[in-house]
Amino acid sequence: MNKIIAWVDQRFPLTFFIKHELTDYPTPRNLSYWWGFGFLAGFVLVIQIVTGIFLAMHYKPDSNLAFDSVQHIMREVNYGWLIRYLHSTGASAFFAVIYTHMARTLYYGSYRRPRELLWWTGQGLLLLMMATAFMGYLLPWGQMSYWGATVITNLFKATPVYGDQIVTWLRGGFAVDDPTLTRFFSLHYLFPFLIFAAVAIHLVALHTVRSSNPSGINLADKDNIPFHPYFTIKDLFGLGIFMIVYLLIVFFKPDLFIDAANNIPANPMQTPADIVPEWYFLPFYAILRSVPDLAGGVVAMAISVLIFAAMPYLDRSRVTGGARYRPIYRAMFYIFVIDIFVLGYVGAHPPAGTLKMVGEVCTAIYFLTFLLLPFVSRWEEKFVLARGLPPAVEAMARKEIAEAEGNV
Amino acid sequence: MSEENTIKDGANLSRREFLGTVTAGVAAAGVAAACVPFVSSMNPSSDVLAKATTEIDLSGIAPGEEKTFPWQGKPVFVVHRTPEEIAAMAASKGGKDPEPDAKRVQKPEWLVVIGICTHLGCVPNKTESGWLCPCHGSVYDNSGRIISGPAPRNLDLPPYHFVAENKILIGKA
Amino acid sequence: MSNNKLFGLIFCLMFSAGSAQADEAQLKRGAHVAVEVCNTCHSLKYLKYSDFLKLGFSKAEVDAMRGTKGMADPLISQMAPADELAMFSTVPPDLSLMAKARDGGANYIYAMITGFYTDAKGQTANHVFPGIKMPDVFMIAQADAAGRQGIEQKARDVSAFLEWASDPQAEERKTLGRYVIGYFVFLTVLLYFLKKKIWKRLD
Ligand code: HEM
Ligand code: FES
Repeated sequence: MNKIIAWVDQRFPLTFFIKHELTDYPTPRNLSYWWGFGFLAGFVLVIQIVTGIFLAMHYKPDSNLAFDSVQHIMREVNYGWLIRYLHSTGASAFFAVIYTHMARTLYYGSYRRPRELLWWTGQGLLLLMMATAFMGYLLPWGQMSYWGATVITNLFKATPVYGDQIVTWLRGGFAVDDPTLTRFFSLHYLFPFLIFAAVAIHLVALHTVRSSNPSGINLADKDNIPFHPYFTIKDLFGLGIFMIVYLLIVFFKPDLFIDAANNIPANPMQTPADIVPEWYFLPFYAILRSVPDLAGGVVAMAISVLIFAAMPYLDRSRVTGGARYRPIYRAMFYIFVIDIFVLGYVGAHPPAGTLKMVGEVCTAIYFLTFLLLPFVSRWEEKFVLARGLPPAVEAMARKEIAEAEGNV
Repeated sequence: MSEENTIKDGANLSRREFLGTVTAGVAAAGVAAACVPFVSSMNPSSDVLAKATTEIDLSGIAPGEEKTFPWQGKPVFVVHRTPEEIAAMAASKGGKDPEPDAKRVQKPEWLVVIGICTHLGCVPNKTESGWLCPCHGSVYDNSGRIISGPAPRNLDLPPYHFVAENKILIGKA
Repeated sequence: MSNNKLFGLIFCLMFSAGSAQADEAQLKRGAHVAVEVCNTCHSLKYLKYSDFLKLGFSKAEVDAMRGTKGMADPLISQMAPADELAMFSTVPPDLSLMAKARDGGANYIYAMITGFYTDAKGQTANHVFPGIKMPDVFMIAQADAAGRQGIEQKARDVSAFLEWASDPQAEERKTLGRYVIGYFVFLTVLLYFLKKKIWKRLD
């Protein structure tokens, strides 16, 4: 065994790689379970790819056969029901995990210098995931699949001048139809592998700048411990908890995330009574609907997703540790999270009366949070420095401020 | 470090190793079990298995004629043999895989064989005296026995039985 | 973190999950209603006659139900779609997934088939589905109290059957699920203690 490893090491940095990334990789020992969600996301990605490949062995991307082929998977393929439910529930699990991962980053300010690139690769991953899930949702070719795809592709109508051409081009026809289904299948198969590659880049960036930690300060060497075995075991324990929750849904409530209308084959002649997107798109969908104008709504929705990328610049505070030492930022964080949940609720219901107004107010709060952040964060910085901070945190903040002013 | 401490550390270490081994074993068993549904999903699904039997009506096949029917996606040759052919086959023992004709048919006038060359799986073509495989030249007689060429065995017999005078059910003996 | 509480919650979820055992006698009665009544107009195309064997019917009973149809044949409506279109001005939808395709599932189906009544103009109408084109197959609108009871029983049976038909693997799924969840609880407990052990090294 050792000989084989030595042989490989002469030709490929295997041992170096394992040591550098795993057994010797220094990790802050104070990382909480919130830091385990990245690992979980990677695991769910693997579940999606494996179950997806096996589904694709039985699935037929043809508008006349797709719906039946899903029922074939559910009823006739050995364990087909299990593989499909793992996949359909896995999509929701993926978003739940990623949103938690993002919330962790926002709360602890992990997007701050020097982790901007890490944050942006994450933003790219989010977009890829959204595209993948959206295209996957068309594949069962149920009523929700069909009308969801119709509505979302129609958003591109908002493109100036070429709107209609782009929509037709995306669909390969004048309505969502067989060509749309076939290309969505092709891309739905491809994108997860792009995600996989993007995850690799995300991890290289992480290992360059190292993990942030809840204290916000750079820890002394004695507070760093090797990733393996300490965090492998911690992450695996977290995975065990995750699997229990995920599999309870898969085995006992598998239709939780499958809309009833998606058990009706797609019918281009009739739209179901209330069409709603998957839960993970609801807040953005609510923002789309809160703007009365098509183009305005689309732009607002696009910005609501993309604006996260600006966080390293919008947050101008130099006090590290995110919300931990920043009472105002913390309040904003919680308001923002609540705001998103309310938007999600609004997105799931027909926009009428008070609910419509609630949606508009929440949309305003959503954007105001980002718009006010540059000013609030600077003001807050002065406030907390004056009030007093733990010495290490204060020292870091003062150093960063001094550097910035020296540059001016 | 006192002796006592060393001993305690040693005991701790072995306990941890034991727990680690057990956990790793349980996890490995789980991974193995998780493979079962995926491997199983690649086996024929229940609708494919349901098509495992095929009913064939023999009344349309004239004496001396051969017809090919699909069964489980494979060709099955059904030959209505003439009395001369029956006599010739009963007299011969075949080639390199000798087998009496009587063991290969249920009723002498009906030969039912799987039309897949036992060499590398091509479908042989009917000739006057039996079959000739187009791929590597294996020659079979009118009992489906290998006479010459690279094929190692006689043509295989599908399980079947007569459900009526002129009807057979292939797939079930 | 209070791991104990978390485990407690998970155990609760586990044992509340998947109760309601299907009542075989009821499913069998419902199957008869579905084949003899619903199937005259509706297909149940994702069901095959052989699926009835899984409900506990004997082969002879299924043979009687399928008539001239094959064991592996799907339950296709006994009326041609064109005739149905002429008669009802719509083609009745397939029922094999109906219990999953409506919010409320079996309860919705029960409420719909028992929801017929005679309105003020003497027309048959439906509480649950106004403007329904399906006739009142059990004639519940005209039934007296005793008749109603019998019809309600039939409706309950066929709704239960359609729920089974929409998800025939439910039993298998829940049985397997109990083992799988049991396994993961066990593994997670092991991981928990292993984690504690390993992190002790740092003290
Ligand atoms: C990023 C990872 C992935 C996500 C988020 C995702 C998401 C989805 C979603 C939401 C559906 C619809 C589920 C339903 O209601 O049935 C779906 C269906 C499907 N996906 Fe994926 N998927 C992923 C990866 C893959 C991969 C890698 C493959 C193939 C190699 C694949 C193949 C399929 C197939 C064949 C279906 C249709 C079958 C069905 O509807 O159950 N997926 N996917
Ligand atoms: S396959 Fe028939 S002779 Fe080779």
